[in-house]
Amino acid sequence: MEKFINKILRFPKITLLIILMITVLFFGVMKQNSKMETDLDEYMPQDHPAFVYSDEMEKVFDIKNGIIIAIENKDNIYHTETLQKIKDLTKALGKMKEINKSDVTSLYTADNIVGTEFGLDVKAFYKRVPKTAEKLAKLQENVRSNDMIFGRLVSEDETVSVIIAEIEDDVFTQEFYNDILTLVKSFEGPEKLYVAGSPIVEGTMAYLGPKDMKKMVPIVLLVILFVLLFIMRSIKNTIFTLLVVLFSVIWAFGLMAAFKIPVYAVSTMIPVMLIAIGVADGIHLYSHLDLFLQKNPNATRKEAVGDMLKGMWKPVVMTSVTTSVGFFSLLTSQVFPIKYFGLFTAFGVMAAMLFSLLLIPAAILLFGYTKRKPKIDKKNKTDKIPFAYKFANGVIKYKTITLFLTIIIVAISLFGMTKVWINSSFLDKFEKDSDIVLTDKFINEHFGGTSTLNVILEANENDAMKSPEALQLMDEMQQKVDSKLAVVGNTFSLSDYLKRMNMVMHKDKKEFDIIPDSQDLNAQYLLLYEMSGDPENLWKVVDYDYKTANMTIQLKSDNSKAINSAIAEVENFRDEFKKLGIEVNYAGSGYKALVFTDLILEGQIKSLVMSLFIIIILLSFMFKNFRVGLIGSVPIVITAIIGFGVMGLLNVPLSTTTALISSIAIGIGIDYAVHFIERYKIYAKETGDKQKTMELTMHHSGRAIIFNAIVVIAGFMVLLFSVFPPNRSLGALVSLNMFTSFLGTVTIMYLLLYKTNLFFGKKK
Amino acid sequence: MKKITLMLLTLLTIGSMLSAQKITGLKIIENVYNRPAGEDQTADLTMSLINSRGDKRVREIKQFLKDSGNMEKKIMFFVAPADVYNTSFMNWSYEKAGKDDNQWIYLPALKRVKRISSDSKSDYFMGSDFTYDDLGDRQPTDDTHKLLREEEIDGKMCYVVESIPKEEEYMYSKTITWIVKDNWIGKKKDFYDEDEDLLKTLTIKESKVIKDYIIITLSIMHNVQSDHKTIMKLENIKIDSGISDNKFTERMMKRGI
Repeated sequence: MEKFINKILRFPKITLLIILMITVLFFGVMKQNSKMETDLDEYMPQDHPAFVYSDEMEKVFDIKNGIIIAIENKDNIYHTETLQKIKDLTKALGKMKEINKSDVTSLYTADNIVGTEFGLDVKAFYKRVPKTAEKLAKLQENVRSNDMIFGRLVSEDETVSVIIAEIEDDVFTQEFYNDILTLVKSFEGPEKLYVAGSPIVEGTMAYLGPKDMKKMVPIVLLVILFVLLFIMRSIKNTIFTLLVVLFSVIWAFGLMAAFKIPVYAVSTMIPVMLIAIGVADGIHLYSHLDLFLQKNPNATRKEAVGDMLKGMWKPVVMTSVTTSVGFFSLLTSQVFPIKYFGLFTAFGVMAAMLFSLLLIPAAILLFGYTKRKPKIDKKNKTDKIPFAYKFANGVIKYKTITLFLTIIIVAISLFGMTKVWINSSFLDKFEKDSDIVLTDKFINEHFGGTSTLNVILEANENDAMKSPEALQLMDEMQQKVDSKLAVVGNTFSLSDYLKRMNMVMHKDKKEFDIIPDSQDLNAQYLLLYEMSGDPENLWKVVDYDYKTANMTIQLKSDNSKAINSAIAEVENFRDEFKKLGIEVNYAGSGYKALVFTDLILEGQIKSLVMSLFIIIILLSFMFKNFRVGLIGSVPIVITAIIGFGVMGLLNVPLSTTTALISSIAIGIGIDYAVHFIERYKIYAKETGDKQKTMELTMHHSGRAIIFNAIVVIAGFMVLLFSVFPPNRSLGALVSLNMFTSFLGTVTIMYLLLYKTNLFFGKKK
Repeated sequence: MKKITLMLLTLLTIGSMLSAQKITGLKIIENVYNRPAGEDQTADLTMSLINSRGDKRVREIKQFLKDSGNMEKKIMFFVAPADVYNTSFMNWSYEKAGKDDNQWIYLPALKRVKRISSDSKSDYFMGSDFTYDDLGDRQPTDDTHKLLREEEIDGKMCYVVESIPKEEEYMYSKTITWIVKDNWIGKKKDFYDEDEDLLKTLTIKESKVIKDYIIITLSIMHNVQSDHKTIMKLENIKIDSGISDNKFTERMMKRGI
């Protein structure tokens, strides 16, 4: 390998040129073919049973995500002008090419089922906008007396009314959102208008996250550049360390574009990983070079490069290969964007390895190295002991404390890990005082909720949903879920229609606000409704054969705790429904997001465990010692445990992005461990003295490791100033992981190395 | 210009037929409206409702109809599905413009007859894609009619008439009807919604001559926006069998078939 590299390096110019050419090529492909994928449905594994089922039910019941537009009139909405606005806006929305006319619901389109002295009447609340006080009062009374509308389309304090425009999953674009905002704006004043709903939240998130990333990454790189400059005290070294990172990112994205794979939101994590991992090789290489130059200030370029490669090619290859394997293990994930993330990060890591072994040496050969003055304080060297030596001895001296502290920290972290919760919420990713969150809050205060869970009740025979038993159980379940959980604002199902019909047919007497006991009567009511109303509305709660019903539970929060609490309540009824031959299932985008997050997490944990085993085995082979494998995995394990532990303790929920950060634990942890152990092994061989080996290793590898940690931490701290909260937690977590990896390597792993007497076996 | 030449040409070709010479859109629609259909009618109506997913529901109804000049009475009994057996529906509609229909429904499980107030002829008829107006209740004078052209459909020459409602808030912005020239039977009708988008298309598939009357026996209404279809089929039709006025009472609704 070393020979091979040296052969190539006989032609440093050509090497440099070829790398540059390929990079330019990849860059061109990237510029041309890169396409951002923001539709969250594209992320989900389409053949997963939960998604297949949900998608099918979404078609049967026409379940779509609704954009909610709220109109607020501080007085009350029963003013001619306000009602006119509701009507006009309803029509204007229906005319947008992204929205089906029949998918817009408002007070203007709603059916009013009312009892008259004769019987039943289903009609619109208004067609022509009422103008007289008398007619306005009548409308107000109609709305108040209709539970199916009051509190759903008109708030209970009567100051807000909503228009709901349901759209298909894939039509949301930023332009569409802007169109809606412009449209809504034109209706503003004196009424206030608000736009909310899950499509807006998801769309904005999918757009805002990467956009913010695009803005922040250059700043991160800039900060890293300055810190590198400060630490390396060399412009050349800094530039080429950064070029390694930059080129590896371009190659990864270029290859992705060449295969026409779109850029998913998780793909924005690829540069994050490559920056954190990629600077390591450069730092270690140059650090080695500097130490060599301090001893041999007059070495030729060739000599310097020769020594650098001789000492470093092995750990560079080993770290890169093990890190790549760690990322490759993400291929086991069921989620495609995660697979791609793993695959292309692994590719990027290998590319970075290639540049470290070719680009950096070639550059040194061509442009020379930064001269290092031999330490002036050479005379003082004996009395001024380097900090690294002190540290090395200190750790050993206070080994009980080190061990004890490690155990305590790990124990606390393990406790913290039990508190980790998964959050599939999109809204929680926004600033608490952002427009999107505030609007959502406003609507949740006035209405049932902006998030929905669909409970699908499926019987095995037709007309089962007309049976009083099934309908009464549905009603019972709705009451229970509604009264028990504060987060549930509303529930809606076929039973609401039947209760309303029954009451209306009995002169609005409250005691008839129940499900009738006779299946025939239920069937006849439904026929009556179909005859007098708009049967399309019915097909949103039950299918054509009355075999499957869709119950909607409206939630005031889209976070996973809220959805799970509702599911838990529903599950209590599973057995009773089973007795009636009815199966309970779930559907809708909120539920899909929940399953999806679980999938990501499951895949992430699976791959973490798997890559840990692979890495132990690889390390064992590389060092031809199983114990090294075990010791080498210590920084990874510690980093992962503390990472998750801190998340649990600080109540940072796991989400698609935060879960992925654990991958960094592997990449960084393995880097540090391998460099450290390899150095240790070399010095052990050279000196044969354990004390000396420890000190030298700490001075060489320890120094490079802390430089590496400082550089990346400084860079990622920049993300703490991001406007997008998930990117802030990302910055904090990457920094934390870097820090614990570093600390774990130089303390506990170092102690273990010391204790096990590895590489000194023969002498002992 | 093109339109005028076209019209002139068509006028020339039919110039020999004396009656057709001065026919107007209104006259055509009146002819359709006034087409004799007998005084009373008994029939078995099968209504198949098919949604966009291809799910199908079938309703079987026995219906009685009587036209006594200034008003038309209709009573219908559900035969199937079983859970609505003997649910009945009665409708009285009046010739006099502006007078709303009277409607009753009897739910056997409730054992009570209920009035359904009907301010809207735009309500859908029994969950089908037909509104009451679509079924032929609409008075010719409610719309402004214009003869657009004549063209051939299925080998039959038809008048193509555009009808625009006089009432602005009406559910359709316009309808276009193809009417067979020699027998005043509609062949096809397009309904446009309030935004002037095509909403539904009615196609007459079959008609029969019974006792000198032409009766439409098979028609399909297709709502193109929701892709929902209704197939109406009439069988065992009896015309002028002398149904008594007593048939159309609340008592008869309760008694069932």
